[in-house]
Amino acid sequence: MSERPNRDGGGLLLAIETSCDDTCAAVVARDGEIRSNVISSQGVHDRYGGVVPEVASRHHLELIETVVEDALAQAGTTLPQLDGIAVTQGPGLVGALLVGVATAKALAAAHRLPLVPVDHLHGHVAASFVQPDPIEPPFLILIASGGHTLLAHVKDHGARWGRDGSIEVLGSTRDDAAGEAFDKGARLLGLGYPGGPALQRLAAEGDPEAFAFPVAAQVPGLDFSFSGLKTALLYKTRELGEEETERRRADLAASYQRAIVETLARRVERARAETGIERLAIGGGVAANGPLRERLRRLAPDLHVPPRELCTDNAAMIASAARFAQPVAFPGYLSLDAYSSGERGL
Amino acid sequence: MRDDFDAMTILAFDTATPATSVALALDDGRLLSRRHDPAPGERPGHQELLLGFVVALLEEAGVELPAVDRIAVGVGPGTFTGLRIGVATARGLAHAHDLPLVAVSTLHALAAQAAAPPAAADQAAGEHPAATADQAAAPPAAGEPAATGDQAAAGQAPADGEAPPALLAVLDARRGEAFAAAWPHAAAADPRAAPLLAPAALSPEALAAAVAELPAASLAVGDGALRFREQLQAAGAVVPADGSSLHRVDAVAHCRLGAALEPLARDEVVPTYLRLPDAELALRRRGERE
Ligand SMILES: [Zn+2]
Repeated sequence: MSERPNRDGGGLLLAIETSCDDTCAAVVARDGEIRSNVISSQGVHDRYGGVVPEVASRHHLELIETVVEDALAQAGTTLPQLDGIAVTQGPGLVGALLVGVATAKALAAAHRLPLVPVDHLHGHVAASFVQPDPIEPPFLILIASGGHTLLAHVKDHGARWGRDGSIEVLGSTRDDAAGEAFDKGARLLGLGYPGGPALQRLAAEGDPEAFAFPVAAQVPGLDFSFSGLKTALLYKTRELGEEETERRRADLAASYQRAIVETLARRVERARAETGIERLAIGGGVAANGPLRERLRRLAPDLHVPPRELCTDNAAMIASAARFAQPVAFPGYLSLDAYSSGERGL
Repeated sequence: MRDDFDAMTILAFDTATPATSVALALDDGRLLSRRHDPAPGERPGHQELLLGFVVALLEEAGVELPAVDRIAVGVGPGTFTGLRIGVATARGLAHAHDLPLVAVSTLHALAAQAAAPPAAADQAAGEHPAATADQAAAPPAAGEPAATGDQAAAGQAPADGEAPPALLAVLDARRGEAFAAAWPHAAAADPRAAPLLAPAALSPEALAAAVAELPAASLAVGDGALRFREQLQAAGAVVPADGSSLHRVDAVAHCRLGAALEPLARDEVVPTYLRLPDAELALRRRGERE
């Protein structure tokens, strides 16, 4: 295999992210400057009413070549000039992840570049570390999306999970993720899939106090649960009947959204009290939700919210995380495999 | 074609079946290969082993990746996950040094190999016995055509004139089905030859019906030929003994077929799935009912 030519000293990392239904590649400099951030949303899962792993995996393979080429071209760099290649190793859909992992390994091995395996959730945390507006640890972070709901204490930039590590998980969801709760509520209100954004739009026209949905879920500590809320909405629509549900859809949406926002915010509030950490960041697709941001800003006026394209799944956050993760030198990563879950020592 | 093959350095691999098979054909005529066949109950080792085999073969041959003339990847049909690992790896390696990439049908490779089994397996096993422990294959089954290197490369029938009229490649497609295709013996080494039976996912009944249409005593090979031995033999096909190496996909065949194929744009190299995702099938069935 070939020798690495002299690098330009830019310290660039290429990252690949294929953990769910977005095919992503990005180039980020060592100092956290984003040189490119390409996201190809598959947009093919709506007809199935959810992300289908086999469909997602097929599309990743179709899209990844172009996405990687675009990321390199937009950054004005080439593989031999890179410092290394980062890839999301997990957690996520294993069939989807392995397309990214196999691609990253082959690209890296062909130039004997180091490979940096990155945990997807470390990526969501590291979205807060990129230029031009990075936030310095320690801080609390709420990551809420269709795939995860997590409240963590970020102690430093690194990737070590656990009480004595860089990221201590304070609470996570026992059942549905927050984004899933939005989608399921939307389906009960006849808004299709993915209905989360539609529900949030409809909620803007409704009265959030119209219905009292459960907020204090029956789970201990700082964990989350949304299944009871979804059931409460189902019973409420049955109680109201079809016609009345239709008439009061906006009120139902607004009240339901308020319950999700309150559930999240009250856990954050409690975590701040327990840890004494005041600085707060959010990430994940649900971070785009207006009422959630407003509610959290009332708690923490300097709430840190990365731009939208860094909140939803993307590869720039994976490259950002890779700056603080352990690179594996060639040929140590040739046998590297993806993982679906449970390897963060939670 | 023999000339093409000899003049090129071709890296080939296949991950369509649970096996991981990698071969490196060098322009000086050397042929190196590695394979892994999971034991019963063991997971396929595609992601863990494929790239390591590639690097090891290149190092053993003293060849740098940019010096490879082309990469030939088996595109199935086969296990979806295995295919994606193989195709993504091939594309990544090709991308890194802008190498030509060809897509080889795994079924056609099986048929070509049965028409003219490569003499390379022994050679490779002899060269690196440690890494190819499971390559020390079971002795050839009785009745298995024996071919010399020359015959193998030319894709001709063995001299004894007992060549089967057609080669039927059958892979276990799970869910009680088979992926199958057939080629006339004389055309089995030509990657562009028209098949007698086009690649398809077939139920055992449909497979038997298709085999009944082929010339009698056609040779059926592949893990699917073992799985459906009963049906195939009842339909008139000949199935070599269980331990025969003819049933194993060997990337050496991909080197030979790949030499004669036209390279494709990297994103045109995609797995041959032959089956829609379950969710899509369910959706269509619902649509039909309504
Ligand atoms: Zn995510």
